[in-house]
Amino acid sequence: MSSVPISQWPSEYKYSAPVAGDTEMVNVTIDGVEVQAPRGELLIKVAQDYGTYIPRFCYHERMKPVGMCRMCLVEVEGMRGLQISCATPVVEGMVVTTQSPDVKEAQDGVLEFLLINHPLDCPVCDRGGECPLQDQTLAFGPGESRFVEEKRHFEKPIPISDLVLLDRERCIQCGRCTRFAAEVAGDPLIDFGGRGSSTEVITYPGAPFSSYFSGNVVQICPVGALTARSYRFKARPWDLSAVETSCQSCSVGCRGVLDSASNRLVRFLGVDSEPVNHGWLCDKGRYGYEWVHAKDRLNIPLVARGGGLVPESWPQALELATSVIRDVFDKHGAKAIGVLGGAQGTNEDAYAWARLAKGVIGTDNVDAQLGDGLPAEVVIGMERATIADLDSARAIVLLGPDLKEELPVLYLRVRRAAVDLGVPLVDIGASNTGLTPYAQAVLRHLPGDPEAVTEKLAAALAGQPTRPDELRPLLEAIDKRALIQKEGPVVVVLGRSSVAEAADATVRAAAILAQAGISAKFLSALPTANVHGALDLGLAPGFLPGRVTLAAGRDELAKTWARVPEEQGLGAAKILANAAGGEIKLLVLLNCDPIADFPDGQLAKDALKNVEHVISLNSFTNESMRHADVVFPITVWGEQRGSISNIEGRVARLGRKITPDGSTMEPWRIATELAARLGHEMDLESFTEVQDEIAQVAPAFVGVDSKLISWARDGAVLPVADHAAEITLALSSLDQNKRSAGVSWEPIPTSGEDTPGNGAVPPAVISPPRPAQALYSWAKQAPERTAALADSYSLRLVASRTLYGNDLITTQSPSLARLATVTAQLRVNERERDRLGVADGEVVRVISSRSSIELPLVVDPSVPERVALVAINRDAPGASDLVDINESVTDLRIETLSKPVIKES
Amino acid sequence: MGKFSGFRITIAQVFKPKVTGDYPNSKRPKPERFHGRHVLNRYEDGMEKCIGCELCAGVCPANCIYVRGADNPPDSPVSPGERYGFVYEINYLRCIHCDLCVEACPTEAITETKLFEFSFTNRQDAIYTKSELVVDDQGRAQRQPWELWLGDEDDQTSGWMRATASAGQAEFEGKVGWSGELGVGVRAAEPSQDKTRTAIAPTSEPEEVALG
Ligand code: SF4
Ligand code: SF4
Ligand code: SF4
Ligand code: SF4
Ligand code: FES
Repeated sequence: MSSVPISQWPSEYKYSAPVAGDTEMVNVTIDGVEVQAPRGELLIKVAQDYGTYIPRFCYHERMKPVGMCRMCLVEVEGMRGLQISCATPVVEGMVVTTQSPDVKEAQDGVLEFLLINHPLDCPVCDRGGECPLQDQTLAFGPGESRFVEEKRHFEKPIPISDLVLLDRERCIQCGRCTRFAAEVAGDPLIDFGGRGSSTEVITYPGAPFSSYFSGNVVQICPVGALTARSYRFKARPWDLSAVETSCQSCSVGCRGVLDSASNRLVRFLGVDSEPVNHGWLCDKGRYGYEWVHAKDRLNIPLVARGGGLVPESWPQALELATSVIRDVFDKHGAKAIGVLGGAQGTNEDAYAWARLAKGVIGTDNVDAQLGDGLPAEVVIGMERATIADLDSARAIVLLGPDLKEELPVLYLRVRRAAVDLGVPLVDIGASNTGLTPYAQAVLRHLPGDPEAVTEKLAAALAGQPTRPDELRPLLEAIDKRALIQKEGPVVVVLGRSSVAEAADATVRAAAILAQAGISAKFLSALPTANVHGALDLGLAPGFLPGRVTLAAGRDELAKTWARVPEEQGLGAAKILANAAGGEIKLLVLLNCDPIADFPDGQLAKDALKNVEHVISLNSFTNESMRHADVVFPITVWGEQRGSISNIEGRVARLGRKITPDGSTMEPWRIATELAARLGHEMDLESFTEVQDEIAQVAPAFVGVDSKLISWARDGAVLPVADHAAEITLALSSLDQNKRSAGVSWEPIPTSGEDTPGNGAVPPAVISPPRPAQALYSWAKQAPERTAALADSYSLRLVASRTLYGNDLITTQSPSLARLATVTAQLRVNERERDRLGVADGEVVRVISSRSSIELPLVVDPSVPERVALVAINRDAPGASDLVDINESVTDLRIETLSKPVIKES
Repeated sequence: MGKFSGFRITIAQVFKPKVTGDYPNSKRPKPERFHGRHVLNRYEDGMEKCIGCELCAGVCPANCIYVRGADNPPDSPVSPGERYGFVYEINYLRCIHCDLCVEACPTEAITETKLFEFSFTNRQDAIYTKSELVVDDQGRAQRQPWELWLGDEDDQTSGWMRATASAGQAEFEGKVGWSGELGVGVRAAEPSQDKTRTAIAPTSEPEEVALG
């Protein structure tokens, strides 16, 4: 191992595609050392697991072997010639030599051959310094070349997408990029063209490599042939300093390494975390770090003075905010205060604000979800699945948003389960999603009415003898799968497919599955970065930190907190309605912008216009803070340490890489400062103290203290009691000698910085009290089923999200901003367009019970009849003008304008 | 004699030849590989040699070089190729004149002159920026107000100052290892340093570089 460069230390986990019933271990001798490995495991992997690094270029642990580069040749006794270890499965009694003279000669030859046409670009190549070709040439190569002829030449980097550049001279034709695109991402937009020495990676004519996952090919390319536009010439590897962290662009929480140079974030790379992201990132997560350095970032507190917001010092701003809170509290009581947001921050922020709002001020009008989520009691109370459960599921049911748009790396995981592992997939929804092509059963329903199809599905899964036609392929697939996987849950990916309809119907459909006796488990698909952490830590009406209700947790919390609210407060919709109506006098906005984010834009506008006081914490100015009394600038991802919880409830640590410009403060610290000024010292001085207090007072977080969070590299799924084995395992597999290299064309090895080494004691495991059966009880009190469409002219609105929209991460990151659409369009299928008799792109009038706006109409074949799709993350006028939060669905009437205006889109 | 005997040595010195010179009006020749302050060289066509690769910054044991690369503007490229040194700074309060940067440079862009006589009155002056380090249009070092050097002291400051040939070969004798330079052209090959050996006739062509 010692001769292997740091960048190529192998990863920790063991990975092999499950083979039916084959767990037999075989004995293999590698360089004279006898080891044991599961039969069928690839030789290169077995050797690596036991500390022998065999050089390679084309082999990647998360993709199928192809044997294209011949770098991994080894000698196997009894087999003629040398064998490529990346495609040789181990069998009983195999004797392997990885360093014989023959192997050495072969390695010299392969490297000399690869370098024949490879330019000596290292000094100007973004890969130089962390390049597998450089490293392996140094470690295994001949040192000199006999080739003096002219090398092949191509035009230097050509863009293959808006984010990725290709330098064909440097390509060694390993096929990692093309295989990733086809096998992993399912976007086969790049391939090899030409023959012999003029083979090159090409895109198809007129179709750039515009995949949501294009950045991954830059990371796995073993040379500098594929480079990222955002990182181009920004830094060289020896400038970088790295920290492991979780992505906060969405709630999957992919693990990655954040690189900075000269206090500027320059790169984010995926880390191979077996339970979470397998090393992949989506492009939004990968390039979304740029927004941290946006020049409009707020970096000084603002206060209202003379009709505008003017800069103020921290002490003054804190004093002012305190007096606003005290004033409202004294005059109108705690109930006149509402706290919205908090789903974008860290767990520590969420806890400190929950403690300030509920434990100091005493209001329960606190909600992290801005009308785009599911009831907190459902998310907290449902039987939760982990991401890894997808791999061993009996079937996966999609009952929520388009994962490709909202939780991209979860999409990769579900796609892998369906395509590579053969897990049957059911797609329930109103319109097609990225996963529809892989589903065995596609159950379409009118928006807001998934129940009928879900009932049918539940009955069939539960073993009802009659098999409806549309479910036959699914049931056959399940039967086939049962040969390998009899047990295993049915994993329901549960979320909101549209914010234009109430959550009720989705929850009732989920309850049907939960009660069908098919051992259903639920994986939340709420996309906001840390919404699960915020809910788990009490930023929801009726809940206290640690997944307990007010009633269940009151006595315990009262030992630490000054008070606990008496009765359940209001959710976001009611808070805004009461603010609009004047009962709520003060709104605290925790890193949120209700006017842009709340589905019912009109209500949010009214609320913020009518409410007397607003205190806002944010990193940018926005419309909602226009009338704020005080605006606090906050530190953000990359500038703040702490932890987050992802869709599984996995608590993982966040690293800090840079110090922010200006004077910003962590939201949790602002909460402690305000609490102190309100007369309640929280006694929390650092984020670790917050974590330790959470571990003490929040039942579901028992055992998850600052130590565990910093040790457990893949994080810990709550409640720890259910996952004790996972954490013990993660700790014992850490190796202190391996350190995160900040380089990851191979999965990055475990960071050993703060690990206790082998044999660490797992944390005390205590079963926390949990609300029982929330899903069922909630479903019982939910309102009745939605009626059919009002009349035959109406279309029903689906307001879903796309990956790139008008969100801050996209619009403030120059690389992504180019990809975003920020103006709303009305998408219908061809038949609906013909019924209206308008041209594609023509502006039409869209009328809902709420208002009437004009939008360009675009034909989209994936939208079914009777449905109109308007993305919600678009600038006004758009979907949020049409939605009335009190209606269970949004029906639209479309009218042509008398004078049609044709707009180019 | 008695009391004068102590002056014998002193008086004897008066009649010996002087070893001190009229510094700074006249100076002694410096050794060929003397390490003074740096210059950034240019090719004969005026293009900068530095490609902003940061190898010098990476190798510098004193951490005193700061380089950032950038895309060459397509219509007015600063250097040949894709990338050029966009920011280049050396902090002379830290530089120990070890010449490792010179050894590391793949393009012979950075070399050390024999100029060493400079004193600053503020720290900012001690940080030489790219505009101060790049040679002028005649290919000569740009004199800074706080530097003391005379006439042709800036001669012979570049390429061949390195200890190794740019391709890393040990056999440098009689081989031109350097690319041409603004104001100087291609420098002649170096003779043997072993005075007992007869010099090999210099070849006129730069040597073929064939490395894997
Ligand atoms: S571009 Fe990179 S990943 Fe793709 S084939 Fe070439 S060397 Fe391999
Ligand atoms: S899927 Fe989500 S967490 Fe993962 S990289 Fe993309 S935005 Fe980040
Ligand atoms: S001479 Fe040595 S100390 Fe001075 S800049 Fe070069 S590498 Fe650094
Ligand atoms: S001086 Fe040489 S080593 Fe330094 S950045 Fe420029 S080209 Fe690279
Ligand atoms: S790694 Fe085995 S052939 Fe490329």
